[in-house]
Order: sequence, then structure tokens, then C-alpha cells
Amino acid sequence: STPQGVAERRGIPAASFVEDVETYLRQAGLEVNSALAFLQERLQQYKMVEMKLLAQQRELQAKIPDIEKCLDIVATLKAKKALGEALIADFELSEGIYSRAKIEDSDSVCLWLGANVMLEYSCDEANELLKSNLENARASLEVLVGDLHFLRDQQTITQVTIARIFNWDVHQRRSKQSVMKET
Amino acid sequence: MQQVGKRQTLDLPMVRGFCRRSICSSCACFRSDAILAVLGGLILQGDGTEAQVTWDDQQNINRFGRLNNRLHELADEIRLAKEANENLEDAGNELILSDEDVVRFQIGEVFAHMPVDDVEARLEQMKEDAAKKLEKLEEEKESILAQMAELKKILKAKFGDAINLEED
Repeated sequence: STPQGVAERRGIPAASFVEDVETYLRQAGLEVNSALAFLQERLQQYKMVEMKLLAQQRELQAKIPDIEKCLDIVATLKAKKALGEALIADFELSEGIYSRAKIEDSDSVCLWLGANVMLEYSCDEANELLKSNLENARASLEVLVGDLHFLRDQQTITQVTIARIFNWDVHQRRSKQSVMKET
Repeated sequence: MQQVGKRQTLDLPMVRGFCRRSICSSCACFRSDAILAVLGGLILQGDGTEAQVTWDDQQNINRFGRLNNRLHELADEIRLAKEANENLEDAGNELILSDEDVVRFQIGEVFAHMPVDDVEARLEQMKEDAAKKLEKLEEEKESILAQMAELKKILKAKFGDAINLEED
């Protein structure tokens, strides 16, 4: 891919790759210190976005097993119904206290939709809904991971650019110093 | 930073300082800091020339960083997968030892009463899935290590001591 392949991704600006430090500084009309300051700030911004994305990723990674467990229960209920048996389950009433429930005739289940809303669905509808939620969650996770990769690449590019500008500066001073020594 | 005379001691800590400050404290994932090119090293050798960083080099560095991050994530995932495998083994053993007909099997937050045979079948299935998952993760880890070794060779060949690709 060319250095300027992607200008930005989902609101994250791409870090421009510097072919030659001197040309870059001249074109941007920047002093070394202001260039370094600008790049450092960019790096901080990237960091902020990264923290946000990581939090979202953790959320999704917790959500996916939950949805899978729900699907499992619905499947178990359906199986029991097919056998014509009731499902007996022990559940936690309070911390350390469990109670027994007998679930008969499970034609429907209630699903927690968030925002203090719970809706009753037939087992099949519940299955459909949960499956589509699972797929959406997985797809979102994939996109998120792609964003994180892109972000990290931009961070690396920025850091390498900072190092190069800094060293170019040091190199310049050194050659000036040796020129002054000779004269 | 301005005095050339003190450059030797300032370069490495200074540039490394850039790297250290930017390490994210809430997660260990930003290890690509560890690879940050201390390109000053070349100047310190005194020959005054530095290898230019081309777009290809930058892409290689990026790829190395990504692989490194993925490696750390994998380490965690493999640990969890191994624990899950062990738990399932223990559960299987307990099941054999117990002589009840009805077992409380955890699904989600509740413990459903199920006949031993069903539980056994489920457990077998879960053990198989867990073993396969662990195998896949180990394979991915091997592949990543190989790719990283390749990239390390290429980058070291070009930049030598100027680039630090080890973990601190």
C-alpha cells in the first residue's frame, strides 16, 4: 500500500509517513521543537481513542458469552418441552441462598432488553433474536479489532517519526558543532 | 536536549523517555513501545550517517508491533483455555466418582437438574470443544513467533543496534 493509502478510518486521522525529515520540516514550515510537540500531542490523542476502543472491546467480549449462555438455556427449555418434562433448576435467591424452581410448559421466555425493559417471546422468537444479537456483537467486535489495529499502526508511525526528527536534529547540531570547530 | 556535548547520555534515555511515558498503564497491550527505534544509536557510533526509514521498513515495524500485541493477548487466552480444560477434566472425574442419578448442571446462572447420562454427553462435547480451541490458539502462537523471528531478522539486518526489538 502507498504511504498515503488511507487518510482516516472512522474518524481516526492517519499519521502521514515522513519520507525525508528535512523535506517534511521545510514543507510544514515547522521548527524541530514545534514539530515534536505537535507529534506528541497527536500521540496523546491516539492514546485516548485507544483507551475508549479497548473499553468497548472489553464490553463486547463480556457480552458474547452471556448471549451464548442465554441461547443454551432456551435450547434446554425447548428440549425439555419436547420430552414433555418440566425443568427443575436451582437458582440463587440471594447471596449464598438457593431455591428450587419447577419450570413447566415453557412456551415463552422473557428477555431482558436493557433500559429496564423485559419482553416476553416465544421460544423460537427468542432464539432468533438471541442469534441475531450474537452475530451483531461478533461483527462489531471484528470491526473494533480492525480499528484498534489501524490505531496502533498510526501510533507506531508517529513514534518512529518523533525519534527520527529528534535524531535528525541531534545530527544537525553535531555537524554544525564540528564545522564550527574546524573554522 | 540542546547541548551537543551531553548528547551521549541524553539520547537514549531521552528517546526512551518518549516511549516509556506513552506506555498505557491500564493494559499491557501496548508493548510495541518496546520496539521503538532508538535510531540515535547509529549517530552515537560517530559515523554521522543514518539508515533512512522507508515505507516498507515502517510497515515491517508496524507488523512487528501488531504481532507482538497479539502474542500478549494470546498468552492470556491460552492461560484461560488451559484453565477451562482443567476444570472440565475435574468435573468429569467428579462425575464418575459421584453415584447420584441426577446432577445439577450449571447453565448460565442456574443449576438445572439433569440425568447423569445427559450430563456426561454434554461434558464430553464441552471437553472436545475446549481441546480444539486450545490447539488452535497454540498453533496461532507458533505461527506468530515464526513471523516475528522473520521480521526481527529483516529489521536487524537493516538497522542493527539502532533498533530495539526486545521486551524490556
